[in-house]
Amino acid sequence: MKASIEWLEEYSDIDVDSVKLGDILTMTGSKVETVEQKGKDIKNVVVGKILEIKKHEDSDHLVVTQVDLGNEQVQIVTGADNIKEGDVVPIAKDGSELPGKVKIKKGLLRGVESCGMMCSVGELGLEVSDYPGQIEQGIMILDKSFEKDLGKDIVEVLNLKEDILDFEITSNRPDCLSIEGLGREVAVSLGKEFKNPRRNIDEMKVEDKKEIEGLTVTIQEPDLCYRYIARVIKNVKVGPTPEWMRRRLKACGVRSINNIVDITNYVMLEMGQPMHAFDINSIKGKHITVRCAKNGEKITTLDEQERELDQSNLVIADEEKAVAIAGVMGGLNSEIEKDTQTVVLESAVFYGGSVRKTAKKVGLRTEASARFEKGLSSENALRAVNRAAELIELIGAGEVVEGKIDVYPTRQKINQIKLEVDRINQLLGTNITKQEMIDILERLEIQVQDDVATAPYFRMDLEFVADLAEEIVRFYGYDKLETTLIKADTTLGIRNKEQKIEKKIKEVLVNSGLSEIYTYGFVSNQDLEKSNVNQELIQNAITIMNPLSDEYKLMRPTTIPSMVQTLATNANKKNQNVKLFDISRNYRNINHTVEKGEVPLQENILTIGMYGDDVDFYTLKGLVENLLETVSVNRYEVVKETENESYHPGRCANLKVGIDVIATMGEVHPEVLSNYEIEKRAYLAEINITKIVRYAKTNKKYVEVPKFPAVERDIALIVEETIEVGQIEKIITKKSKKLLESIKLFDIYRDEKIGIGKKSVAYSLIFRDKNKTLSDEEINQVMTNMITELEKTLGAELRKV
Amino acid sequence: MKEEILKIKENSLASIKSCKNLKELNELKVKYLGKKGELTIVLRGMGKLNPEERPIMGSLVNQVRDELNDLVKEKEKELKKEELQKRLETENIDVTEPSKKINLGSYHPITQIIDEVTEIFLGMGYEIADGPEVEKAIYNFDQLNTPPDHPARDVQDTFYITEDIVLRSQTSPVQARVMEKQKPPIKIICPGAVYRSDSVDATHSPVFHQIEGLVVDKNISMTDLKGTLEMFAKKCLGENTKIRFRPHHFPFTEPSAEADVSCFVCGGKGCRVCKQEGWIELLGCGMVHPNVLKNCGIDPEEYTGFAFGFGVERIAMAKFGIEDMRLLFENDVRFLKQF
Repeated sequence: MKASIEWLEEYSDIDVDSVKLGDILTMTGSKVETVEQKGKDIKNVVVGKILEIKKHEDSDHLVVTQVDLGNEQVQIVTGADNIKEGDVVPIAKDGSELPGKVKIKKGLLRGVESCGMMCSVGELGLEVSDYPGQIEQGIMILDKSFEKDLGKDIVEVLNLKEDILDFEITSNRPDCLSIEGLGREVAVSLGKEFKNPRRNIDEMKVEDKKEIEGLTVTIQEPDLCYRYIARVIKNVKVGPTPEWMRRRLKACGVRSINNIVDITNYVMLEMGQPMHAFDINSIKGKHITVRCAKNGEKITTLDEQERELDQSNLVIADEEKAVAIAGVMGGLNSEIEKDTQTVVLESAVFYGGSVRKTAKKVGLRTEASARFEKGLSSENALRAVNRAAELIELIGAGEVVEGKIDVYPTRQKINQIKLEVDRINQLLGTNITKQEMIDILERLEIQVQDDVATAPYFRMDLEFVADLAEEIVRFYGYDKLETTLIKADTTLGIRNKEQKIEKKIKEVLVNSGLSEIYTYGFVSNQDLEKSNVNQELIQNAITIMNPLSDEYKLMRPTTIPSMVQTLATNANKKNQNVKLFDISRNYRNINHTVEKGEVPLQENILTIGMYGDDVDFYTLKGLVENLLETVSVNRYEVVKETENESYHPGRCANLKVGIDVIATMGEVHPEVLSNYEIEKRAYLAEINITKIVRYAKTNKKYVEVPKFPAVERDIALIVEETIEVGQIEKIITKKSKKLLESIKLFDIYRDEKIGIGKKSVAYSLIFRDKNKTLSDEEINQVMTNMITELEKTLGAELRKV
Repeated sequence: MKEEILKIKENSLASIKSCKNLKELNELKVKYLGKKGELTIVLRGMGKLNPEERPIMGSLVNQVRDELNDLVKEKEKELKKEELQKRLETENIDVTEPSKKINLGSYHPITQIIDEVTEIFLGMGYEIADGPEVEKAIYNFDQLNTPPDHPARDVQDTFYITEDIVLRSQTSPVQARVMEKQKPPIKIICPGAVYRSDSVDATHSPVFHQIEGLVVDKNISMTDLKGTLEMFAKKCLGENTKIRFRPHHFPFTEPSAEADVSCFVCGGKGCRVCKQEGWIELLGCGMVHPNVLKNCGIDPEEYTGFAFGFGVERIAMAKFGIEDMRLLFENDVRFLKQF
C-alpha cells in the first residue's frame, strides 16, 4: 500500500522527515518498505525563456540560444528542434543535478560555450502521459503562464516534490489498506491528534429506501454478502478527473480512467472500502440480486476476459445475467460509458474466504479482492458510499439522488475484551500502569469503560487479551522491552538415542573422508526408472497435487535417484574420487495411508555414494561395518542380493538382522550408470537409521581381558568358486564350540594347479578358553571336526602347505 | 699369580679404554669377564694356592673384576650415546615435504548451522523434537490458528498431497504435536526441512530448512523471548551482537515480532549483506496465540509461551558468504569440501 505524505497530512500533523517517519512507523508495526522522495534529486533547475535562437557555425544540428533566467541571461547550446524563440522551458543551470545522479556543468560544444541544458520531460524524471501536449523526444515546453516564474526552481513551480511511503501491511490489518487507517497510525505513532476530516460523513443521515429510480436489491446469500448498499447518481457527466485527485491516485499507483471510476478508486484508497459503479440501464429489470453463480455461467470482466464460474462463486446479477463477480471485478456489460446518464454506486461487504476462493479460481487478484479477502467492516461500507456521493457533488460529476438502499442482513459483531492489566504485564514482562494502557488504547479509538475494552468497528482483528497486549506494546515500544531469562524449573537438554546415533554416524563418515550432501525429496517418474527402482516401490511414491514441474512431481520412495544424480553431477564436472553421504528421508505410501488421511511412512535413511580409484565394494563394506560397530550393531549377517536392480546383480549385499534388512550396499548397476552417463564404477549403500536405532545397543559392558593364552592355527581350503567365504566362516564358527576368538581371512588364491573354477581360501584362527589354558589335543579335535564338516557340506578340500 | 692378575688388569683396562664400538666391547667383555675369560681362568687356578693366599688373591680378583665391570658399563654408555648421535644425524628429514594425511570429509553448511544453533539451545535446556515432513494439514494449519479459509493455506504456497495431507510449509507442526503429547514445561527446538511452492533461483528453493523453538510454561513473557533470543544471537553470531524487535503479524503468535540482529558481517556499519541497513532480519517470533494453546489442549489461562522460527539457508548464506542458494543443493564436492 502506497501513501503520499501530502495525503497523510490530512489526518495528522507530520513534523519529521519522511525517512524518519518510515522508521517510526516500522517500529510501531506499519512496516515501511521504501520511501520515495520525488523531486529531491532535481537541483538547481529553473524556469527560463528563450530570447534568441541562432545557428551554430560549426554544426548542422546544434543551435546557440540566449535564455532569460529572470535575474541573469545565459547562453545554451542545444540539439533540440522543437523550440522557438519565446518558449518557456526548464533550464538545468551550471552545477545542477537531474534524476539518476546526472550532473550538468558548463562546457564547450563545438567551441561554443554552453552554460547548462534545456530539459525534456524524461530528463526531469517525469512521464509524458502526466503532461498532455509534451513529447518524449524534445524539450519540455511550459505554459506561457510560467513566464512570471523566470529563474524560479522548477520543483516548486511544477510542484514536483512528493514523498511516498510504501507499506507492507500484514493480513490482520485491512483497515491499514487505507489512507485513513494509516493516518490514524501516523497520528498515534507521532503522538499527534487524529484530525478525522471525515467527521461530516460519520454524522451524515441518509434515509433508507426500498427503491430508488426503480432500482431494488435482494441478497440471496446472507452468509456470503453481509451488507449491500446502493446509491444512485443522476445527470452524470462522465469526464476527466481534477488534477488533485489524479495526483493522489497516481501516488498510490492507480491509473486515472474517468471521474466516476476514479472516485470509486479514490474512496477505496481513502477508506479501504472497495466500491463499484455501473450504469443503471444495463441492469435488466433494475433489480439487483446477490447470488451464487450457476455452474458454467460466463461473464466477461472489465479487462475484457471471459471468465467461467461455478456455484461457489458469488455474483452481482440482474434478472438475466451476472453483471459483476462479487468483490473481484465488474462486468464489461455494465461498464460506465461516455454517454452514461444514471449510475449506481455499490458499496458491499462480502465474506473474505469466498472472495479469496473466487479470485483464485478466476485467476484475478484485484485491489478490491485483496481487501475483501482479509475481512472488511460492514459499518465502513456506509461511510464509503456517502463519501463517494459527496465527492461526486463536489466535483460536479452528477446529482446524488436522496436516500439509499441498504440491505444489511448480517450485522457486524463488535468485540469486547476484558482489560486485564496484570495478565498483560505478565505476558509482556512489563510494568505498564493501567492508565498508560488506557491512554494507548483510547488513542487507537479502543474505548475502555469499567475495565472492558470495546474494539472500534474498523478493528475486527481485536478479539483476545493478547490482542490488546499487542496494541499496548506496539506503542509502549518493542525496543523498550527488556531482556530477561526464563524463571522456571531447570529442564534437561539432551539428545535422544536416535539423535545421538545420527551424530555419531556423521562423525565417522566425515572422519572417513565423506562429504555430506543435501538433496530435494522430489523425484520424477523418469528418475525412478533411470535408477531401475522396482515397480512395487514406484507404486508407493507419493504424488504432489500441485508440483512445481514434472521433475518434482513425486516424493521419493527411495533415496537412490537423489544420490546417483549427485554422483552424476560431480562426474560431469570431472571431480575425482568423490565420496558422499546424505541423511534424509524416504516417503512411502504403503496400503494407501495417505488416502486414509494419515501420514505415510517416512524413514530416516543414510545414503552413501562413492566413485574413484580408491574405492571398491570392499571399501564400502568396510565403511558400513565400521559404522555399525560404532553404534554397536553387532548381530547382522551379510547376504548376497541379486534381485535389487539398482545394483550390480553380482556385487550387492543386504545386511540383515534376522529377516530384517537394515542396509543394502553394492556397486551401482551398469545400466543405471549409463542412464546417468557416469563412466566409472560407482558404489551405493542405503542404511536404514530408523532400524539401526532399534538394534543399537546403548549399554556397553566391560569384558575381561583374557588371562589364559591363545592357540593359533592356520587353515587353507580349496573350494569351488561358487562357495562364498561367508559359508565357510559359518561352519568354522559353528564347529569351534565357542572357543573361536577371531577368524581372519588372509589369502584367496586362484591357480591352474588348484583347478579351474576353484579357489584356495586361507584363514588364521585364534582359539581361546577364558577359563583355562587350551591343550593341543583339544584344538586338534576341534579342527578335525571342523574339516570333516567343511568337506561334507561344502566339498572343501584341505590344502597341504 | 698376583703378577698374572695385575697383568690381566693392565691389559684389559687399556683395551677397554681404547675400544671403538659396542661389538668390540662385547668381545672384550667375553675375553676377560666371560665364562671362559682370562680372569675366570685365573680364578679357577685358585685351588692350587695355599689356604693363606686364597682369600688375598680372591679379593684381588674380585676387586679387578668389579673395576673392569664398572669400566665396561661406563664405556658401554659412552659408545651407545655416540652411536645414537650418529643415527640421529643420518635420520634428518625435510619437515616441509608433503604430509601423508587421511582425507577428511565435510559437514554440509546447513548441518553446521543447525548443529551450532542446536548446541546452544541444548545448553539452555531445550530438547530436540522432530516430526513428519509429509504432514497432516490439521497440524500444519488448523492447530496453528490457520483455519481452512486462511490465505496462508493457498495452493500457491503449499504443496498438497491430498486435501488433508501436505508437505509441511513450516516446522511449526512439530510444536503442535509436542504440545498435544507433552504437558508444560515444554522447551523444544525443531530443525528440519520444509516445503514451499517457490521456483528455484538464487534466493529461493522449494525445499529449505527451518529451526523452530517453543517454550510453554507458567509466567513465560515476551521479555523472556527477547532475552533468550539475545543470548542465542550473542553465542551464535558474536558477543557484540545486538537484537531488535519490530511488530509483525503471524497467525500463531500474539503479540508477534520480527527480530533483527546487528549485521554480523559489518558489525552494524552497513555493508552489502545487510543492504547498508546495519541490521539483518533474523527470525519471526511471538507469544504463542491463545487459540494455538487451546487447540493443543493447554489452558491459555494458566500457561503462556513463546515461539520463534528462522530459515537456516539464509543464515548459512550470510555467514559463509554464499550468494547463490542453488550451490547448497547442487553438492559439487569442490563446494562441499570448503566447509
